[in-house]
Amino acid sequence: MLNFYITYFFIAIGLFGFSAMFALFGVYAERKVSAFIQDRLGPTETGKYGTLQTFADILKMLQKELIIPTAADKVLFIMAPAIIFIAVYMGFAALPWAPGLVPSKLNLGLYYIFAIISIETLGILMAGWGSNNKYSILGAMRSAAQIISYEIPAGFAIISVVMIAQTLNMQDIAMQQGVLSVEKIKFAGFWDVTHIGGIFSWNVFRAPHLLIAFVIYFIASLAESNRAPFDIPEAESELVAGFHTEYTGLRFALVFLAEYSMMFLVSMVAVILFLGAWNTPLPNIGAIQLANWTTGAGWGILWIILKTLTLIGIQMWIRWTLPRMRVDKLMALCWKVLTPLAFACMLASGIWRLFLM
Amino acid sequence: MSLVQVLFYLMSFIALASAVFVAATKNLVRSVFMFFITLFALAGLYVLALADFVAITQIVIYVGGILVLILFAFMLSGKETLNAIAQQRRQFISLSKLPAILLAALFLIVLINVILKTNADHLGWISQSIHQKNVIEPDAATTENIGVNLMTGYLLPFEAVSILLMIALVGAAHLSRKEEQQ
Repeated sequence: MLNFYITYFFIAIGLFGFSAMFALFGVYAERKVSAFIQDRLGPTETGKYGTLQTFADILKMLQKELIIPTAADKVLFIMAPAIIFIAVYMGFAALPWAPGLVPSKLNLGLYYIFAIISIETLGILMAGWGSNNKYSILGAMRSAAQIISYEIPAGFAIISVVMIAQTLNMQDIAMQQGVLSVEKIKFAGFWDVTHIGGIFSWNVFRAPHLLIAFVIYFIASLAESNRAPFDIPEAESELVAGFHTEYTGLRFALVFLAEYSMMFLVSMVAVILFLGAWNTPLPNIGAIQLANWTTGAGWGILWIILKTLTLIGIQMWIRWTLPRMRVDKLMALCWKVLTPLAFACMLASGIWRLFLM
Repeated sequence: MSLVQVLFYLMSFIALASAVFVAATKNLVRSVFMFFITLFALAGLYVLALADFVAITQIVIYVGGILVLILFAFMLSGKETLNAIAQQRRQFISLSKLPAILLAALFLIVLINVILKTNADHLGWISQSIHQKNVIEPDAATTENIGVNLMTGYLLPFEAVSILLMIALVGAAHLSRKEEQQ
């Protein structure tokens, strides 16, 4: 009985450690990627190729004074970063990493993640209001408006996958996209790939409209993690730093940690729903059973991390190549383009499920 | 006491204490944020009652939707309005509170009556369901059950609610539309 709880504590601490390490790595990668795109060098001084730069940054940040503005609502101001981070961190509980390896076997896993992410909005509003600063509150309001608007296309894109998969359990959705599947998988509805597996059995290729749903989800996930081109909540040119303008030291680090964890979380959800989760991209070709050889616990972790990092790389690439969108254009894109498209995808999923599966 | 009972009392305490804070505090914004804790504790109680779908829906709708909209209303209204609301006359006993006290007292009487009259351990319909094996196991998927019920036994209320929401949407769109230039 006690062992059972100790395992859970270790898993929770492990996931926290992982998100912290990922944030350190993510910041370094972001700086190097941006430097490459803008033809600069990025950090070079600390450690070989500047690899120790983010460790030095976090050490510096830990020593900084924690400033609370005089006019701030102290309780809300102090609690906000913790709530923002915890909301994202709790989402990791339901994500499967490999066959049989998932922190919490929830049969409503996907819905749970969708719900828990929405708490982040509350933390952001708390930070904006608590800071008692016009830039903070403007940033917080923009951020909340953006997140709740983009939750709608993201939600419908997710529903169109769930209608095909017929389950909300993340592990079951993952299982359906490879050689371990117990049911029949068809590539684009006509080619039986149950025993071939690999890239052909991923959800994006299961039905043509799921490819569109994936793009919609990816765009919406950029907005939900406040990444460029949807980073108007922290538009430096007009709002200083948005809702986290007043934060210093460890609290600022927590907000930053939440942002990078969110990037990882939404990318991993995209991978699980659309890009085959922990399944291998290599198919079985006749006697060369590449898919069977490269499926397993260790391989699963490797594949899912590789795919997620690829998506994060694309997020960074987009951030440093596209300009920021204007507020009204951002809302117009969400309500006039993505939402109707997502509705169409959901409808297509229903028809697909009824007549073609 | 088993772990479930400990959790039940813990979450009930959090829900009640935060609800009292919501009602009693002068700081309106803080009371909205405290309401979030009440709703979360309620979601926890739903999970203990094996209604996990209801618990998550509670978080999606109330925390992700309604609370955020209430906060929006706060942030869009001016400081003067908020101060005027906060500085209302705070007398513990006053005539204007009489209807509220009356309602609360009557509701309390009804509640106590219900608690005293029902024999919660031996409810007829529960023992009947157990007898007929018409029960949901802790590890069952409640989503399918809810979906099937919504589309069969409760189709009319479900459609009526969706029409109501549609009317609300049309009304909101009409109110927020720009007036035509005369």
